[in-house]
Amino acid sequence: MADCLTREEVLHVARLARIELTEEEIEKYRYQLKTLMDDVDKIKDVELKTEERLISPATENATLREDTPGEMLDPEEIMKNVPESNGNFVEVPVMIDE
Amino acid sequence: MNKYLDLSIKEINELLKNKKIKPIDLVNEAIERIENSDLNAFITLDKEGAIKKAKELEDKEVDNLLFGIPIALKDNIVTKGLLTTAASHILDNFIPIYDATVVEKINDANMIIIGKTNMDEFAMGSTSRTSYYGAPLNPWDKTRVTGGSSGGSAACVSARLVPFALGSDTGGSIRQPSSYCGIVGMKPTYGRVSRYGLIAFGSSLDQIGPMTRNVYENACLLNVISGRDDKDLTSSHAKVEDFTRKIGNSIKGMKIAVPNFFMSDIVDDEVKDKVNEIIELLKKEGASIDYIDIDYLENAVTLYQIIGMGEASSNLARFDGVKFGFSIKEPKNVDDLYGKTRGEGFGEEVKRRIMVGSYLLSGENAKIYYNKALQIRNGIRESFKKAFEKYDLIIGPNATTVAYSQDEGLNDPLRSFYDDALVFPANMAGLPGMNVPIGFNNDNLPIGLQIIGNVWDEATMYQLASFIEGKLELNLDPREVK
Repeated sequence: MADCLTREEVLHVARLARIELTEEEIEKYRYQLKTLMDDVDKIKDVELKTEERLISPATENATLREDTPGEMLDPEEIMKNVPESNGNFVEVPVMIDE
Repeated sequence: MNKYLDLSIKEINELLKNKKIKPIDLVNEAIERIENSDLNAFITLDKEGAIKKAKELEDKEVDNLLFGIPIALKDNIVTKGLLTTAASHILDNFIPIYDATVVEKINDANMIIIGKTNMDEFAMGSTSRTSYYGAPLNPWDKTRVTGGSSGGSAACVSARLVPFALGSDTGGSIRQPSSYCGIVGMKPTYGRVSRYGLIAFGSSLDQIGPMTRNVYENACLLNVISGRDDKDLTSSHAKVEDFTRKIGNSIKGMKIAVPNFFMSDIVDDEVKDKVNEIIELLKKEGASIDYIDIDYLENAVTLYQIIGMGEASSNLARFDGVKFGFSIKEPKNVDDLYGKTRGEGFGEEVKRRIMVGSYLLSGENAKIYYNKALQIRNGIRESFKKAFEKYDLIIGPNATTVAYSQDEGLNDPLRSFYDDALVFPANMAGLPGMNVPIGFNNDNLPIGLQIIGNVWDEATMYQLASFIEGKLELNLDPREVK
């Protein structure tokens, strides 16, 4: 196995995570991500004695609360945290380039 | 300077009841201590809010033991109107619009929130060094790490800046820094404490818990924050009990197990020696000790990497620069907004974990890694279940070493995982785990014992922890060492 990922492999996982990396970071992560992924690969050698999966350790079945109207959050308060807004609307840049 | 904050909670409570002091005296003292401290334990000190609350309490009856006592909260617990950053640049200016359920409970108990503590960014780390605000320092030796991720909470309680703090524990983040800083920390049973308002990292692992100077006060704080919350579907309907009720009971006849893996080569000898001393002490007191094997313990690091990073990559998708927090200026399009905001806003460790987590969950990988991890996770839980049919408690070390140098292991992406090899299993199985200090190494650095209990059995853990605390009578105040 190679000691580091290719530049393209790093860019692929960065793209999956929607994270833009600098050139310097790409170089650093080529090694670091490889180290981490190799370590994670140890799971392939584990012999299973059980097929059942445990997704959550919660011991009770999740129950839904009554569907009754509660207190509303104040839209003005919510909008204070929004980086770009117009009235009570959140502004985002164009979704699709030409 | 007054020293009311050095008194026990019971003593402070008496003084408040008899009107010898007012809550404001405690708040002023805490503020003075925090402002004179160079530990970098806090990200935000809420002087104004704390003073206001203390004044309000002056007209109220002292109705419970924790009334008027200052408490610090880890900065991933949201507080209405008070900056909450999770120690990340991406939440630079985030002012929550609601309180976490634990915050409501603390307010209902008339405790006083003094500020928000430093931590690893989004609780990802074992040293608190991934904080955007710089690492907190260990009160026992400032050149060493506090542990993490609840490092600020551990440091401020250890240094006696405040008597109480809350931390969160996804893979040891309460227990390991408590061990490094010489305090008592409890990660309760999964579902014991509401996670509503805890900034999610690994939703099937996260749990909020108390960090305190001693065992009794820890149980008192767990009394306050426990209970069913309709806003967290995974919180349990189990009745809130008095967690102090077994404190003081004899441990004679108690059946205790030590997993062989917990005393294996991965643990430093000086840590094992202390744990062995405790084992002898417990035997002498009439408890039985058996060495047992728990399946898959040696795989807990790998499991945590896969489940922890997987859940994190999904949970942290919400930080996109659109609705709150840091956002880049004049993005070209929405992809540009996401990519650059997250690229600039997240730190190195967080980006690494999100990227690997996204990779592990993508396409076929989900089967190879995540699915298999969940199967092993079930195996761990089943094995613990079996052990608890026979034993009351499981013990071992929390950390494989004592607190190490701030410069050590900085460029090792695996270090933060292997530091926590012994604390992951409890999170995987949803079991309660705690730290109780059991002594010091030759450099006078604290060593802690991990106690793992059966689900919903925190009271028995406090019983054992309190017995050990009473027998050892350690001086756990780092101010008296220098």
